[in-house]
Amino acid sequence: MILLEPHNVIIQTTLGEKIIKPSSLDVAFVDYDGVRFHLSTPQSKTLLLLSMHIRCWDELVKYGALEILQREYGSLLQPQAEPEYNVSLVIDLEQIPASPEDRSAFILSIALFKRNALAAPFELAFKNQKALESSGSGQGELMEIHYRDEEAIYVQASHDRVTVIFSTIFADETDRIFGKVFLQEFVDARRQPAIQNAPQVLYSNRDPPLEIRHLANLRNTEDTGYVTFVLFPRHFTPANAPGTISHIQLFRDYLHYHIKCSKAYMHSRMRHRVAEFQKVLNRAKQEVATTERKTVTGRTMSTR
Amino acid sequence: MSNVLRPYLGAVRSTLTAALTLENFSSQVVERHNKPEVEAAGSKEVLLNPLIISRNENERVLIEPSINSIRLSIKIKQADEIERILCHKFTRFMMQRAESFIVLRRKPVPGYDISFLITNTHSETMLKHKIVDFIIQFMEEVDREISEMKLSLNARARIVAESYLLAV
Repeated sequence: MILLEPHNVIIQTTLGEKIIKPSSLDVAFVDYDGVRFHLSTPQSKTLLLLSMHIRCWDELVKYGALEILQREYGSLLQPQAEPEYNVSLVIDLEQIPASPEDRSAFILSIALFKRNALAAPFELAFKNQKALESSGSGQGELMEIHYRDEEAIYVQASHDRVTVIFSTIFADETDRIFGKVFLQEFVDARRQPAIQNAPQVLYSNRDPPLEIRHLANLRNTEDTGYVTFVLFPRHFTPANAPGTISHIQLFRDYLHYHIKCSKAYMHSRMRHRVAEFQKVLNRAKQEVATTERKTVTGRTMSTR
Repeated sequence: MSNVLRPYLGAVRSTLTAALTLENFSSQVVERHNKPEVEAAGSKEVLLNPLIISRNENERVLIEPSINSIRLSIKIKQADEIERILCHKFTRFMMQRAESFIVLRRKPVPGYDISFLITNTHSETMLKHKIVDFIIQFMEEVDREISEMKLSLNARARIVAESYLLAV
């Protein structure tokens, strides 16, 4: 499992189970980037209410998240969200497509709830790029999505490309150094012929890229990294765009997931190596003779 | 053992073997105290000349003998940032388990990465040449382990980057 999945597995499995056997339900769970979900049956067993909280919801609405959710979910989308959450869907289990293929496609589309909400700025940027392309020059608005406490995605369209910038914070020094190694490989990997068509990746540590340098709320400390993806129109043709969006959204989680994985691997390696050293040292210990000691009369000595 | 490393480890081995002539020695300063003199440093006359065996500017071993204890500190090669962090993690991992590595010191001597303290009790209860073997084997394998970890990190990073970019 190298790549992360864009859909939420909990939504997918829970819905699958509940369609077969409806029962009352009240679960709260989370996804990447502090997104909270709440799946419940407030009225009847067949009416599922799925609510989501994203911390950058206001920004997403500004970039057209509601229209995209309306397009994806239609009448499922509730005009009024559940309190404490940003957006809600109501799924009527009695009106779910009957054929197995349609049904799993429907479940998957619900499981992509977070992905669809976060897709808004990307779709808008792709649209802007098309508009700017005809005029031949100019730049679109720089969209900021503060999807984590101190980390953000910046998306900007210009006449020939769309630039996506991730800012990311590395919690400790090991993460920072591992992150550097990983990001350097992202930059270098494009030299390979098979990956020539991938978007260009640029990486800078500490100094923000020129596109966002004018922003006031950047923290330029040693533990900050900036990753820039340059998407050309061939990456977001109508056929490719959905895949590109789901993929690029998860970049930050993907990077950090693999940094944590390598740390865990190092740890298990060290554990093994230290156990080996321990064996070597134990060989130095002298054998203590443990013969049974007896008195003259044949009684056994024992320690108490 | 690679041929490049052999003279260095040979020198450490013979110096350490020669220095491991320890005897029981009570403190001259405090009555009924029996402390490793190289740590307590209470009386100068029981400390022997410290010795540095240096392979190059980044790799060296400091051996500080005294009448009843000997302290051996190792500076491990760290060519770049990754090796530095891996070395730090590895030595820290070992030093957290110092009580099971009887001869290991919990903190390294300043300027070194890891230190061992062998007292006369250790040399009496354990086989002296096996202790030396342990330290030599540690020195031999720690470099290899760190460079293997670095390679595996790079390999992983490459695979991660390639599979991500192939999918975009």
